[in-house]
Amino acid sequence: MTDNRLTLAQRLSGRKFQRGLIIVAFMTVPLLLLFVFTYLPFAEMVGYSFYNMKYIGTRTFVGLKNYIDVFERSDCFGALKLSLYYMVGSVVQLALALYLATILSFKVKGGGIFKGFMFFPYLINGIAVGFIFKFFYTRGFVFDTVLQWCGFELENLPYWLRDQSINNWSLVGTSVWRYFGQNMVLFIGAIMSVDSDLYEAAMLDGANKLQQFFYVILPNIRTIVVLNVILSITGSLSAFEPPYVITSGANGTGTYFVVMHEIAHTQQKVGLASAMAVILLAIILFATLLQKLFFKYVFRNADEDEVVRSSRRRRKVKVG
Amino acid sequence: MRKVKRVTAVAMTMALGASLFGCSGSSSSTTGGTTAADGDEDALTYASITLGEDYTDLSTTIKFIHHKTDREEDGTMANLIAAFNEVYPNIKVETEGITDYAEDSLLRLSTKDWGDVMFIPAVDKADLSEYFIPYGTVEEMSEYINFADQWANDGQCYGIGYMANAQGVLYNKQVFADAGITELPKTPDEFIDALKAIKDNTDAIPLYTNYAAGWTMGAWDAYLGSITLGDNTWINQKFVHTAEPFKDNGDGTGAYALYKILYDAVAEGLTEDDYTTTDWEGCKAMINNGEIGCMVLGSWAVVQMKAAGENADDIAYMPFPITVDGVQYATAGADYNYAISATTSEDNQKAAMVFVKWMVEESGWCELEGGYPVSKTAETSFDFSDATILSDAPALEGEEDLLNQMNATSELSFNAGGDSKIQEIVEAAANGSKTFDQIMEEWTEKWNDAQEELGVEVNQ
Repeated sequence: MTDNRLTLAQRLSGRKFQRGLIIVAFMTVPLLLLFVFTYLPFAEMVGYSFYNMKYIGTRTFVGLKNYIDVFERSDCFGALKLSLYYMVGSVVQLALALYLATILSFKVKGGGIFKGFMFFPYLINGIAVGFIFKFFYTRGFVFDTVLQWCGFELENLPYWLRDQSINNWSLVGTSVWRYFGQNMVLFIGAIMSVDSDLYEAAMLDGANKLQQFFYVILPNIRTIVVLNVILSITGSLSAFEPPYVITSGANGTGTYFVVMHEIAHTQQKVGLASAMAVILLAIILFATLLQKLFFKYVFRNADEDEVVRSSRRRRKVKVG
Repeated sequence: MRKVKRVTAVAMTMALGASLFGCSGSSSSTTGGTTAADGDEDALTYASITLGEDYTDLSTTIKFIHHKTDREEDGTMANLIAAFNEVYPNIKVETEGITDYAEDSLLRLSTKDWGDVMFIPAVDKADLSEYFIPYGTVEEMSEYINFADQWANDGQCYGIGYMANAQGVLYNKQVFADAGITELPKTPDEFIDALKAIKDNTDAIPLYTNYAAGWTMGAWDAYLGSITLGDNTWINQKFVHTAEPFKDNGDGTGAYALYKILYDAVAEGLTEDDYTTTDWEGCKAMINNGEIGCMVLGSWAVVQMKAAGENADDIAYMPFPITVDGVQYATAGADYNYAISATTSEDNQKAAMVFVKWMVEESGWCELEGGYPVSKTAETSFDFSDATILSDAPALEGEEDLLNQMNATSELSFNAGGDSKIQEIVEAAANGSKTFDQIMEEWTEKWNDAQEELGVEVNQ
């Protein structure tokens, strides 16, 4: 008995136990918060998706009907097609950001000011951006005026938000305008952290700027590129602010989120909207997984590859 | 919009008021003053007063409590009282604007010492005689005012609206005149012709849809039933049971005709060029300056359009251009109603009666607020003389929630934020993507599916 109690007491005062205790104590609060405000509501929402319900009143269990509805209704699943516009936009956005980031990370006159100007849109509230662009695209307002300065005739210009063949591109444009600055700053940060010896070595080897970009910069900022691509693609699946504020989702611009908002809040079909949310989550998880696999394949064994690649590079340089 | 909400709020608190005041319902009846019901020859009634002649030597101070704090602050109320005192210099009027009127006024009313004239809060109609004196019989009052039966009990009229709200079409008189329109359109065809005349003869946008704001499109739903069919029971009682609510009646009536006006106007280019960038704040000044011919909005919008520029006199309101069997209908109802205290002194009641009559008939306050006229003699910019005024009847007992359920299930949401379905009419008309009949068929299908899902009895 005494021996046992001693061992227990010894154990309790032992370093290992104390460390475990502290870890648990520190983790409880954030985990509890995470559980109460993220996982519990999410579990509730998954539960709602099996019911036919409003916010108040009685609810009836309908099984998978809501999920079937999402796939059958043209306005729900069809809205995902609009995400393709935003995905194309995000590719443009990332390319533009990467290009400017590369230029700006070398010594450029007024580089700081350019960075500031291009990052600025990200600091503006999304709703404000919406209002800005609503007037920007209004017939005969800012955009049309600027184009008229460039020699376009007003009669030949399209209605940027009315014409259904281009209005989604107009909205994507606002999204690119807002977010490319943020991507750019992230890229600049990553490029800055590239060891400058590498540039010097590359230069000594006779690599031009383009080669430097592809063989020095890009492999080194791989992680941040992958992160930005994933964020942009998932972001384009859940585009909401531009269509909601500028066109309120009307005129063929209702993205998945806008349709979901309409169904949940105007029509009060909470169950259906929850099912839409769950499906979107599944799609986003799937898309992220696909991208992970894709990049794993593209940048496969980058570290081990480095040897092969650098030898190849050396050979190339020799040939050159 | 805020006004609409407040009126609804008043109606909603009605039930609450009934329960609040039900407990004091058995206390003593009216103390001061005589009522017309007594058959007394000297009875104080609205009709018996000739403004400017009677009671000019009466000297007293009365107190008027109201909810228009904005009018109290901007000096309008003081100006009205000053104008009143030119005719009745001996009757002093104290006014007080109360911010949280709907609730505060109920509390004050229960003290019986709140003043002499007030706007009727949400009280039970059966208790009206306990708090207020009648203006006369409803029959008698109907000769002088509209909506005399809004606050009536036992055939006596206890309330007179300070202004009323109506559903019709907001238009710019000058634009209509410039376009050569001499007679206001009464049918959908005449309306479209009028819009064409505006397009051909003026630079104004004939009909401004306010598409982008959304709720301004949902405003089209407010005309269903009473105006489109001349049937005030349709929207809240019959609509849910109708098998084909959107079918073409063939005579320019019904929901079909209502929304077809919008479709045709857009399809024929009679609306703004780029509907996706319309601006609600901007449209106020545009119609004021004669850049817009008309807009389909409730009469509450009149005062805002008048205030938005220098041409307040050009803004006018007309009944909706649908005629059912030769009769044009409009829906309207009084806003807050003046009522006179039953517990104040006899002199004060006389003075209050004079004051109310002056406010209703001479002050021009109703017109100033852009309200549909309450007095039948006061000047007004509303030309509703030919229209028959209706008020929508409430839902049948036990079916109060049915329209809401139908709205949600069908996702058409009539009068409940269903803006997108009307925006789609504009899009379809502008792009030619769907015919109007196709849209109506889709709506009918959704409506029928919802009826089936909810098990609603359908009358053919």
